[in-house]
Amino acid sequence: MYIWEAVKVAIDSILSNKLRAFLTMLGIIIGIASVITIVSLGAGGQKAILGEFEKIGVNVFSIKTRNDVEIRDSDRLTIRDVEMIRKRLSSVKYAAPIAEKMGLAKTDKVTKRALFIATDFDYGNVSNLKVIYGRFLNEKDILLGRNVILIDKESAKELFGYEDCVGKSIKIGSYSSFDTAKIIGVIDSGNLKSLGGSIADQIPVIAAIPITYAQKIFPDVNISQIYVMTYNQNQLDETSSQAVRLIESLHHNKDKYKTENLISFLEEFNRILGIFTAVIGAIAGISLLVGGIGIMNIMLVSVTERTREIGIRKAIGARQKDILTQFLIEAVTISLIGGAIGVFLGYILANIVGPFIDITPVFSINTILIAFLFSTAVGIFFGIYPAQKAAKLDPIVALRYE
Amino acid sequence: MIELSKVKKVYNLGKTQVDALKDVSLKIDKGEYVAIVGPSGSGKSTLMNIIGLLDKPTSGSYKLNGTEVSTLSDDQLAYLRNRQIGFVFQSFNLLSKLNALANVELPMLYAKIPSKERRQRALRALEIVGLSERIHHKPNELSGGQQQRVAIARAIVMNPSFLLADEPTGNLDTASSVEIMKIFYQLNESGTTIVMVTHEQDIANHAKRIVRLRDGNIIQDTLVPNRITY
Ligand SMILES: Nc1ncnc2c1ncn2[C@@H]1O[C@H](COP(=O)(O)OP(=O)(O)OP(=O)(O)O)[C@@H](O)[C@H]1O
Ligand SMILES: [Mg+2]
Repeated sequence: MYIWEAVKVAIDSILSNKLRAFLTMLGIIIGIASVITIVSLGAGGQKAILGEFEKIGVNVFSIKTRNDVEIRDSDRLTIRDVEMIRKRLSSVKYAAPIAEKMGLAKTDKVTKRALFIATDFDYGNVSNLKVIYGRFLNEKDILLGRNVILIDKESAKELFGYEDCVGKSIKIGSYSSFDTAKIIGVIDSGNLKSLGGSIADQIPVIAAIPITYAQKIFPDVNISQIYVMTYNQNQLDETSSQAVRLIESLHHNKDKYKTENLISFLEEFNRILGIFTAVIGAIAGISLLVGGIGIMNIMLVSVTERTREIGIRKAIGARQKDILTQFLIEAVTISLIGGAIGVFLGYILANIVGPFIDITPVFSINTILIAFLFSTAVGIFFGIYPAQKAAKLDPIVALRYE
Repeated sequence: MIELSKVKKVYNLGKTQVDALKDVSLKIDKGEYVAIVGPSGSGKSTLMNIIGLLDKPTSGSYKLNGTEVSTLSDDQLAYLRNRQIGFVFQSFNLLSKLNALANVELPMLYAKIPSKERRQRALRALEIVGLSERIHHKPNELSGGQQQRVAIARAIVMNPSFLLADEPTGNLDTASSVEIMKIFYQLNESGTTIVMVTHEQDIANHAKRIVRLRDGNIIQDTLVPNRITY
């Protein structure tokens, strides 16, 4: 039989039992809708994060001590390591040490918790940090260990009542001892906060100070990592291992350091997204399975109801294949319509949910094609048994069926 | 040509067995018009279903145009039902969701005939049975006689060699029965071999030959001396 005729028969049969067909499709609809929603939101999130990363620059890597091996004091990263990386590695454009220290910052009236990022003059370059008033740390600040500081503009407003507080003094330190630092710049907090990591959001003051100054006022400060920017992105891997070898030779040790770059962060993000997608995929898979069983069930009912019709068709010359095709197409039609409704619903759902989680969903033709492919596969897989049952009916038995 | 020899059909009903056909040998040549008569339960329908390739004999041989049908596959049987045989049932057996035209087109769908030709041939078949007006009506919008004419149109649309009818007038009034018999007469005149089951003597008298069954055996096989013609 011609496929199109079978499709017409299938649509007729679906239309004559609209509610039943809809209930049958429900599993497929839910399955496909959830896939479309999650995948499009995931893709939207990925795109947003990628964009964020591209702003910072992807030819940056960081060196850290490994946290799965024993680290002795002599293994810790030093300012000299940074200097040597700058001096010895020709592919390095900038390198900056990072030491993070929690403490307090206070003016006459206000005391606030603060995250001090102790670093040097190159930090501004590797992090794409924006100084909106004043200037960033310079070589002399580092060399002399000057008591200078940059704070973020939100904190400036809270501490002084206005953003441009360049030239003002501020007391910084840990809980017992304080030192007076001079504000040389105000930075846009957005960038620092995005680099500051997970704790950044809860920290009111984000401050940058010379690493050498930090070593004076916080005796226990350690360089946790070194940010390195290469000239080109394709130098990342090579330079990373060169830097590690260099530091190892400076410290006379081995296998104590690791490097990370934004690409590996991205990979990590993708891995998490992958787990997330797999979980949702499993949920969607279960609802597709349930939907498929629903289709199988309804097709078996349909075959029983239409036994006489099958007998008539066979009596006038339908072959097994013709009957098989007819019922298979009916099953696939149901699941495809379910899939189409699911895609539509997923689209709407993603657009409703997206704004709440600050993600603009991204819909790709591929996702939609895969959704339809899955629907078809479910229709075929769960429709084949009922269709075979119909095809194998004995003509005379089917004709006599009441 | 239909050739049955020593055909036996046994229905197994768990503990008991029914010998619907005991030992039937029958030869029907091209162009014949045979009426099969006999009391209820004598095996008429069983015999027709076997001849129409809807059912298979328990034992014995059935040759259709020289081919032993027991050797054929399901698909080959379907092919023969499609091309060689037109079946008319007492209860019409039209597909209720399709209109008259679509019902008549159905066998051609399975013969993979293109839609334009399907329509032309269906219209011609409906014209032959005198039903050119109501082609877009569904079966439940047609009278019994009209439904049976649609069924006949469907049976003849593939130009089969054999038209098999199991009590084609069983559900019809006299006037409609006469209409059907006129159509059968014309079809037979134009070369179609007709085998029909009936329990009405008036209807049987339209045939050229009457085969009488009783308890699964042929007890009489005679020519009709004064058959009714039109
Ligand atoms: N599917 C079946 N299963 C069991 N027994 C059957 C079946 N079909 C027919 N029979 C039996 O076979 C015998 C012949 O039945 P058949 O239908 O051929 O009779 P018939 O001559 O057509 O009768 P009628 O004039 O009532 O239609 C009957 O005894 C009937 O009960
Ligand atoms: Mg009968």
